Amino acid sequence: MSVQFLLQQCLIGLTNGALIALVALGYTMVYGIIGLINFAHGDLIMLGACLALSLVGALGMTAAGPATTWVGIGGLVLLCGLFCGLLNVAVDRIVYKPLRNAPKLAPLVSAIGVSFIFMNVGLFWLGPADKSFPELLPSTNLLHNDALQFTWKDLLVVLIVGPLMVALSVLVKGTKLGKAMRAVSQDPTAAALVGVDVDRVIAATFFIGGFLGGAASVIYGLYINTIGFQMGFQNGLYAFTAAVLGGIGSIPGAVLGGLVIGLVRALASAYVGERWTGAIVFAILIVILVFRPEGLLGRRVKEKV
Amino acid sequence: MPILEVKELEAGYGPIRALDGVSIEVAEGEAVAIIGANGAGKTTLLMTICGVVSARRGTISFEGRPIVGLPTHAIAKLGIGHAPEGRRIFPRLSVRENLQLGGFTQTDRATVARDIEEACGLFPVLGARMSQMGGTLSGGEQQMLALARALIGRPKLLLLDEPSLGLAPLIVQKIFEVIGSLAKRGIAVVLVEQNARAALKLADRGYVLETGRITLSGPGKELAGDRRVREAYLGEG
Repeated sequence: MSVQFLLQQCLIGLTNGALIALVALGYTMVYGIIGLINFAHGDLIMLGACLALSLVGALGMTAAGPATTWVGIGGLVLLCGLFCGLLNVAVDRIVYKPLRNAPKLAPLVSAIGVSFIFMNVGLFWLGPADKSFPELLPSTNLLHNDALQFTWKDLLVVLIVGPLMVALSVLVKGTKLGKAMRAVSQDPTAAALVGVDVDRVIAATFFIGGFLGGAASVIYGLYINTIGFQMGFQNGLYAFTAAVLGGIGSIPGAVLGGLVIGLVRALASAYVGERWTGAIVFAILIVILVFRPEGLLGRRVKEKV
Repeated sequence: MPILEVKELEAGYGPIRALDGVSIEVAEGEAVAIIGANGAGKTTLLMTICGVVSARRGTISFEGRPIVGLPTHAIAKLGIGHAPEGRRIFPRLSVRENLQLGGFTQTDRATVARDIEEACGLFPVLGARMSQMGGTLSGGEQQMLALARALIGRPKLLLLDEPSLGLAPLIVQKIFEVIGSLAKRGIAVVLVEQNARAALKLADRGYVLETGRITLSGPGKELAGDRRVREAYLGEG
């Protein structure tokens, strides 16, 4: 077991972690704004992956040249992002919004229901068997180095996740909408009193979370290369765990949590064994939460009353 | 025409009727005090005007336009500022961001920036704490922030809910000074206070609210001299 091997595992872990982080953001943003754990988020991404697969087939992308392929991937990210974003907004409008003032368990159980509905739509769309997602990118190593592999696929993850994170951070920190989102998450009534349309801000949050999930679904297809109607559950669970680990409601926390879980998963499966990965990830989660119940970057600001 | 006209308003929570046929009027640029004991319905009245609590009966018009049933943000946009009970500043936003949100309905950034500067002139301590989180301010500073935030939106009518609650006398004095100066700038004020003495001194007119009904009304000085008010709210007699 060499240093190169360790580095390689870290690289795999970080790439997978970036994908988890993108999904975790959808959990953390929705939780931050309405206090709902949106259990349907993983399955939303599964539907995004279904759409991506259908589009790849319909557009005949497997036969395209390299330049066209990259443009096509950009288009896939945009279309699947829009699809998941709008679907998320529609679910909020139809299912969660009427329950806004109901006890918290009601929207939570409804989210589990939406998750099942999505899974059945996925079953109808894909069929019961896992489908392989075409390899659109060559798996040549970009590093002129035999020991360390960094392929086009890894680069793809960086090229999609990086700009999305930057855009999200600019949006939340620097724009009027971002300020309104943070205000609504802290005190929706006070936000309405200064003129913020709370329902629109919540819809925007669902859209952004869904859009990031849609982008994640495309990466998932191209990077993992196998999709199935049940993929939402496990991936959603890891991403939700990442959000809790980072401090649910915290955007940088979701990113950090995703990267940490990706790394732990890669190292655990390389050094301990694939079958122990889940147990190790969740054991670490439990230990961290015992000592920091608010998560790694969860808030612990002292507030005077 | 009064800027705010509330007629026969009824509102409540579940089986509880907190307002039972309340009628008040506020003229343009007028400062009106509403005094009453805890639980009389003062906060409910302000929250119903803003659409946070829904009216069950009666009408509310702002500048002649009925506003019952409008969503809260739309009412705020019409020009009603509200410094709510318990201040409700955004604890994990900076003082600057809190103030910027006060100008949320304004489309011109430069106006908001100028208004923030002006608010800092009114409350210099806020200017010194611009990048601090709202939640780290002292109670008095938070109240100043809540008041300043409501002012940034350039309201025509300002609703103030217990701005003196729990504050040191010197800060109360400062806050009442600012409230007094608002009327001169043409901003109408509805001031809900348990500090009846200070409120009636400052207000043009006052109303006494008791268990959801207006029991007395009149010019501030007249009310402050009324025997019933002196006994019940000014601790005399």
